[in-house]
Amino acid sequence: MKFSVFQISRKGGREKNEDRMGYCYTKASGLFLLADGMGGHPEGEVAAQIAMQAISAHYQSHAKPEIEDVKAFFNSAILAAHRQILFYASEKSLTDSPRTTLVAALVQGGCAHWVHCGDSRLYFVREGELLARTRDHSYLEQRKRLRGAGQEPELTNRNVLYTCLGSPTKPEYDMTGPVPLQQGDKILLCSDGLWGSLEDSDIVFHLAQKAVAIAAPDLVERALIKGGAHSDNVTLIAMEWETPDTFESTRGTISTDSIEDGVFASTVQAGWLDSSVDDLDDAGIERSIAEINEAIRRTSARKP
Amino acid sequence: MSKVKPAPLPPDTNIGGYKIIRKVAAGGFGLVYLALDSEGQQVAVKEYLPSSLATRAPGELLPQVQPEKLSLYRLGLKSFFEEGRALAQISHPSVVSVLNFFRENETVYMVMNYLEGAALQDFIVTARDLKQSKVFRESTIRSLFDEILRGLRIVHQHKMLHLDIKPANIFITDDNKSVLIDFGAAREVLSKEGNFIRPMYTPGFAAPEMYRRDASMGPWTDIYAIGACIYACMQGYPPNEAPQRLEKDRIAVALARLRGVYSDNLIEVVEWCMSLDPLSRPQSVFALQKELSREGERRYTKLTVTEKVRMQFDTMVAETKKSVQVTPAAAKPK
Repeated sequence: MKFSVFQISRKGGREKNEDRMGYCYTKASGLFLLADGMGGHPEGEVAAQIAMQAISAHYQSHAKPEIEDVKAFFNSAILAAHRQILFYASEKSLTDSPRTTLVAALVQGGCAHWVHCGDSRLYFVREGELLARTRDHSYLEQRKRLRGAGQEPELTNRNVLYTCLGSPTKPEYDMTGPVPLQQGDKILLCSDGLWGSLEDSDIVFHLAQKAVAIAAPDLVERALIKGGAHSDNVTLIAMEWETPDTFESTRGTISTDSIEDGVFASTVQAGWLDSSVDDLDDAGIERSIAEINEAIRRTSARKP
Repeated sequence: MSKVKPAPLPPDTNIGGYKIIRKVAAGGFGLVYLALDSEGQQVAVKEYLPSSLATRAPGELLPQVQPEKLSLYRLGLKSFFEEGRALAQISHPSVVSVLNFFRENETVYMVMNYLEGAALQDFIVTARDLKQSKVFRESTIRSLFDEILRGLRIVHQHKMLHLDIKPANIFITDDNKSVLIDFGAAREVLSKEGNFIRPMYTPGFAAPEMYRRDASMGPWTDIYAIGACIYACMQGYPPNEAPQRLEKDRIAVALARLRGVYSDNLIEVVEWCMSLDPLSRPQSVFALQKELSREGERRYTKLTVTEKVRMQFDTMVAETKKSVQVTPAAAKPK
């Protein structure tokens, strides 16, 4: 199995980044995740982080090295994430629970499967064409669908969702797959910070034109510029499928062929430190101490 | 929030090349120990261990931090570093100096020079119990604060505010030097999170803007506290809290009682520093230093008989209301 992947997340004009992303893989399958913690409820970033951790942990215990039953896996993984968020809320005695969207893609056996809940999207692009896109669980997209059936259009806020992970009601979600993959197929997972600023046609165009390592940061940059000073968090993961026999590798290509059985790799981080304190990891602490001691030395050297 | 305070490191513990002698102080941010360095010199070691976020069982070395508090714990650590970073740049006899910074026991330690003596607070309490008209002599007050202001000026030059200047944080060493201690600028950052139980201000010494979330703080905020400290040195008691003053300000009356005991100029300086409006205070330490060190003859304006009578009446009213604390020494008209 071989694919290129690029993930990027930017805070935009917001105070904090409530988006989370990551991917993990075994020898024979890969899972791509993106969650967007919801505003209007407490600790959106915690909900997003819990969802990432719960699902990747679930994947780690079930991908041996493939997921046997993808539908059952998605069902149980989403439920596990949802329950863990609610558990967190009750442990912390929060009057309102943290909430998050979720979109996940699983690639194995030459096919892609995906699931989503809320308005984080998946775009599936083949040869410059948008083959598939998830439909948001927002009232806006729900009405668009109903409008086709003769309903009057109404002004609806695109941000209002009728389902998500972490709300008191059980999450609703849609699953797609298996969809057979072809060489060069691209899958993009993104938060509404991207699609809220850019047209679908732009997203498809840029994704199709360039390698993911170039298209992904490019798209994020465009969305941030368009979003302006108050831009939402913009996060995406882009993946390009490569057939194992191609010898030319794109930057960021991951080949799972050399991975041994039982090995699991993940970019999902444990812990949900606020992004503002993320930089104070062990290395950050050591650096701070070194800086302070250096300042002490300089100051005492100056001393008459 | 945990109610149990973290246990101090046991005596004789060796950390980072220092030998712990005993705990000398504890605050919201951690513990301070008297320790000996490798050459047997006394040092003060401050351990980052916020009591509301971390626990430590007696006899243990490693603190326990609950996972959900880890983020705040690290945020506090950042502030602890900020304090260290700022102090590391300052070398002034009136500002406590940092000698070393190290990591051990999954937390961090700041080594400072160990001061022998007592806090100004202790001197005030001792002096006021003598029940004399003067708590401190005016010349003592002037020279003490001249030293402190020299240090504070350097602090402000490094773009740092102390934000908790009070007699308990002014240390008088046995060789008669005054030193500004406990740079808790960290406190301010932490309380923004709203998760810290410890109040971010000391009533009486905190300027009115410290009670508001939006107000901008500056050198004038520390200057208010300096004024309040001088006031405490004159009266023997801290001034009323700023919010109380905003309701009914009795500072002017309280200071008027000291007329004839302290010079008009000193009383005016205190009033100036303690203006409720930040813009009416000295805007820099330099401006205050200039006024405080002004040479020349001191003028004393004693109270007139009418003023004394009015004041006595005022005291009676105040005592019935029980809303204001009047010291016996100060209430007695001379």
